[in-house]
Amino acid sequence: MRLRSVIRMTDIAVEVSGLSRRYRQKTALDGVDLRVVSGETVGILGSNGAGKSTLVETIAGLRRPSQGSVRVLGLDPWRDSARVRGVLGVQLQEAELHSDLTVAENVRLHRSFYRDGERPEELIDRLGLRESAKVRAQHLSGGQLQRLSVAVALVGRPRVVVLDELTTGLDPEGRRDIWRLIEQLQERGVTVLLVSHSMDEVERLCGRVVMLDGGRVAIEGTPTALMTRTGSDNLDDAFLRVRKRSSERRAS
Amino acid sequence: MTATGYDIPRAARPGLHAWGQLILAEMKSVIRDTAGLIIPIGMPSLLLVTQGAAASQEILPGAGGRSVYEIYVMPLMLVMVVTLVGVVNMPSFLAAYRRQGLLKRLAATPAHPSMVLFAQVVTSFAQTFVGVGLALGISAAMFGIVGPVSAAAAVGAFLLVCAAMYAVGMVVAAVSPTPNAAVAIGLVSFFGIAAVGGMFGGAQNLPQPIAEFGRWLPYGAGVEALQHAWVGEPIPWQPIAALAAAVFIGTVCAVRLFRWSR
Repeated sequence: MRLRSVIRMTDIAVEVSGLSRRYRQKTALDGVDLRVVSGETVGILGSNGAGKSTLVETIAGLRRPSQGSVRVLGLDPWRDSARVRGVLGVQLQEAELHSDLTVAENVRLHRSFYRDGERPEELIDRLGLRESAKVRAQHLSGGQLQRLSVAVALVGRPRVVVLDELTTGLDPEGRRDIWRLIEQLQERGVTVLLVSHSMDEVERLCGRVVMLDGGRVAIEGTPTALMTRTGSDNLDDAFLRVRKRSSERRAS
Repeated sequence: MTATGYDIPRAARPGLHAWGQLILAEMKSVIRDTAGLIIPIGMPSLLLVTQGAAASQEILPGAGGRSVYEIYVMPLMLVMVVTLVGVVNMPSFLAAYRRQGLLKRLAATPAHPSMVLFAQVVTSFAQTFVGVGLALGISAAMFGIVGPVSAAAAVGAFLLVCAAMYAVGMVVAAVSPTPNAAVAIGLVSFFGIAAVGGMFGGAQNLPQPIAEFGRWLPYGAGVEALQHAWVGEPIPWQPIAALAAAVFIGTVCAVRLFRWSR
């Protein structure tokens, strides 16, 4: 039993191998390799246009790889989309909900898509949306919308969660609420892929960080290791130095 | 079990409960968007009332005592309701959903975004029934219109008109990059097929080639089919073939052209 649980801990939840994605002339991803162990939280950093959202959408099975492969819990999210979507929760950047439906109606609607999942009312409470439960999505503030967006990503009780710009638009209190929720997911052994521009968020939540630049993995490691390897005092500086080096390499 | 040792459940599409929830969600969205209901439901009723007083008094020779209202105005109005809902309203909702990223979000869940298309068709059908019910109710209450002689043929023709207009609407939704574009393309399509289908003064007043062309488009074909059903005559094959062709061509084009995300 113990051996079995050790094997499970070492399972690869998300595996990306040599992934390239091209849009006509533009290459959004260029040979990306990424392995995320079950239960791990990995932060994906990168400037605008680095390929983060394309990576997220390819892992979610919304885009077909031009080259390479993606596996989520051993399944190809493009070919086995129906199975993968039952165990994968995705919060997408710039993807909205029914604006004429209330918070509670949106969460209940998304809950109905899954066989098993969270109780909508409980999730609404945990995300601090109880007072807005009867408010239509179109009347929510940016922060409340973001919480709702996270709620519908988690309502199916996913085993792997992909969160794209999780706390954008949230006030400090909202950020802390969402972070606590992510920590609860971590305690339950959920694998989390977190795309973020917020270094303190990544430092707090992620055991490992992958920095993308120009569609490639520029560097990866624990936040401390990245700072050491780049000779930086903080993750912000590390990010900027990695970007500068990548730009210089491309220019030479 | 898979090669990685994960126990992943078999693929299961959302059940009836999810379909029900989605249809309910679409209906709520349409009802709460009150302005969107005014044109498909309000305009035909308004036209019926304003035109009905004179047209209901004018008996058409050789039509078994039926008035101009029954033979021309009613079929035109019924087809107008379906066209406004199917070609203008429905595509604007779908284009808005695509623009907002709602279809993409659904594509990341076990619910395929095609479920939204189906839910929108059901909702549009409900809207159509309300619009038609209102039109028939006004006609009966104000002008004593009793309905078609051949009710079964009228219902069959009407359902075929619905299918044809929804298929055209799906093409409009497929080619429209934005909700505003969907409304614009929908309105141009509506006025285009309605004008050559006889909405402005009857097809008999149009130049012969245009009137003949209009007979083969879904608006003119729908009006012609309903006119025959209204007086109890067998519906000729031409309007049936034209409507069936619109269903087939529209569906094929929509399936090929529809994009789930921007």
